[in-house]
Amino acid sequence: MKTKALMIVVLMVFAITLLTGCAKDTGETVTIEFWHNYSAGDGQVQVLDDLIAEFEEANSNIVVHPVFMDWGNLKNSVVLGATTGVLPDVLRGDIAFVPQFQSLNTLLALSDFDDYDAQADKVLAQPNSSNLMGSDYYGIAANTNTKILFYNETLLTAASVSVPTTLDQVWSAATTLTSGNVIGYVEPWTGIWNVGPYIWSEGGQVLSPNNTTADGYINSAIVVDVITTLKDLYAAGSLAGPSMDPGAVGDTDGWAAGTYAMELDGPWRGASNDAANIEYSAIPLPAGSAGSISVLGGENFMQFKTSDEAHRNAAWEFVKFMTETHAQVEMAKVGQMPVNLEALTDTEALAAMPLLPVFAEALLTAKARPVIPEWSEVEGIIATKVAEAITGAKDVQTALNEAATEIDAILGS
Amino acid sequence: MKRTSLTMKKYIKSFDWRILVIFVPGLIFVSMFTFYPMAKMIIMSFFDWQIGYQQTSPFIGFDNYITVINDPTAKIAIVNTLVYVLVTVPFQMIIGLLVAVLINGITKRSVLYRVSYYLPVITSWVIVALLFRYIFSNYGLLNYFITDTLHIVNEPIGWLSTRWSALFAAMLLGVWKGIGWNMIIFLAALQAVSKDQYEAADMDGANRTQKFFHITVPGIKGTIVFALIMLTIGGFNTYTPIAVLTGGNPFHQTEVVLTWMYFQTFDALNMGYSAALSVIIALIIMLITIVMFKLTRFGGDSK
Repeated sequence: MKTKALMIVVLMVFAITLLTGCAKDTGETVTIEFWHNYSAGDGQVQVLDDLIAEFEEANSNIVVHPVFMDWGNLKNSVVLGATTGVLPDVLRGDIAFVPQFQSLNTLLALSDFDDYDAQADKVLAQPNSSNLMGSDYYGIAANTNTKILFYNETLLTAASVSVPTTLDQVWSAATTLTSGNVIGYVEPWTGIWNVGPYIWSEGGQVLSPNNTTADGYINSAIVVDVITTLKDLYAAGSLAGPSMDPGAVGDTDGWAAGTYAMELDGPWRGASNDAANIEYSAIPLPAGSAGSISVLGGENFMQFKTSDEAHRNAAWEFVKFMTETHAQVEMAKVGQMPVNLEALTDTEALAAMPLLPVFAEALLTAKARPVIPEWSEVEGIIATKVAEAITGAKDVQTALNEAATEIDAILGS
Repeated sequence: MKRTSLTMKKYIKSFDWRILVIFVPGLIFVSMFTFYPMAKMIIMSFFDWQIGYQQTSPFIGFDNYITVINDPTAKIAIVNTLVYVLVTVPFQMIIGLLVAVLINGITKRSVLYRVSYYLPVITSWVIVALLFRYIFSNYGLLNYFITDTLHIVNEPIGWLSTRWSALFAAMLLGVWKGIGWNMIIFLAALQAVSKDQYEAADMDGANRTQKFFHITVPGIKGTIVFALIMLTIGGFNTYTPIAVLTGGNPFHQTEVVLTWMYFQTFDALNMGYSAALSVIIALIIMLITIVMFKLTRFGGDSK
């Protein structure tokens, strides 16, 4: 008799726990999985946690579960998740991920949400263009960055070189600065992320306007000229970089050692120079014949097809919250350049990022790399061929022609 | 010998089924983590393998293999790997054997020598590769010595900047790291060579070199073959030294098969291509191993 009564009690407790457990998932609270690579070292994770707490207070039925992964792991986890179906509800990742993840058929078209357009109007148009594929937007901008010309003030003063005002002056300054252990210019890679600004600022293009052809664009006379300039600099020892020459010093180490005098780079360069006590300053890339056009970087918020309706809506609420002025200003204080238009001119944000006006100016004309699924492979080909051209392993026109042929083979298929 | 059904029943009865209890878990583990992935990968190599969400992979037969064979970078990777193996394996073994013979001959402080030679073996690949990178870089230790200290040249030499000199640095690293492993293996094998043969040779008036080539080497022949095969397979699996020293740069000139495979799998997401390349490399290794076996058998089952 006793055992029977005990069993009934146990079963009842079991049933109640089950029911309440089920009730939690259906209709009550929705837990959304958020993958990100906000840097803990810069205090960004702390700000994220505070923002999540605020969001959860304002939305009592949503719980946000953040998961940190570094850049490489973030990308690989989604690649893995595409096969297994284990994907987050919302992710903040590199803008270059958008076409890659879309080619894996995982992304949700955020423009399907009714209030997408209203939210997109609150952010910068150029950075948000990195989400546009076809006629749909597969994400919304989270934060942005671009590259500006950093220069070592100590080295420039020592060599009596004035701050360049045109792209040609940048190259002549690099030549003059190179002497002894000092190298005038460093480029860590040779993809469009690196040489794109020089090409675009001289009026060149990488692909045709509809991103279907490379022949006639990547191997045009303008691009040949630009790469030849870089090749001459490299031959004179005024340009160095670890991808062209594995024996060269990395850019961060080189800046700290006072080896490199100038570099086109993003906000992280300022942070590392501060840490290394380098006297530096920065200006937007001096204009070439077609203007000053730098390259867009940054991160976007993305959502995934594997989420059900409740999770999609909850994640969208979170994304909207993170792109509003308040969240953007808070993130700006820890080094995340805002995309929200109001946040860009906010006094607190400006106080936290002294170079923000320089970046903001460069952002007005910065260009996103082509948003196509094959872009990663295309940029890899360009990086290889441009490196061959710059180091003199191949003639510039030949290398670029080969690049055009290989790229067209990928885009055509 | 024919078994009758009666003998069969006896066999089953006397068979110790407890062996299976020990044997089966390991077999399951190996099947899951080695046989299944291998089989799946061979199948993958015949498809244009897509890994996207709910995407299908079309069957393309031998197309991946044709792509690999026609790919100039794959050729560079295979050539680099073959050169790496052909240089590091013999040098490791020869120096390892010499060191083992020398250490075998001393009585005092042999432990000190054995530890010093074995330390590189147990040090992490990443650490030593980074060390070599800093030594060979344009502003590294080696260039500092030859320009600032010894004044042999005026400008630093780009050791890692071109294909063959970078491979040279990688091969130096590979040999240096492997000497200790060979030394330990050969030291153990040398213990098994009977002292009587050396005494007999002494009585016949043989000198050190003759004793080495006619007694020592044949005596440890089995170990030599074992080391040869293990090191060759290991050589084909080189990844870390190249990845850390050059990353395959400049422009994929220093790729070895594993770094190129990694690039194709994780950066370019060409799964079918990497699978085909994997299979091709496996076949090459198999061929080399078979040839080695045949050669050493014919080399003389000498007394």
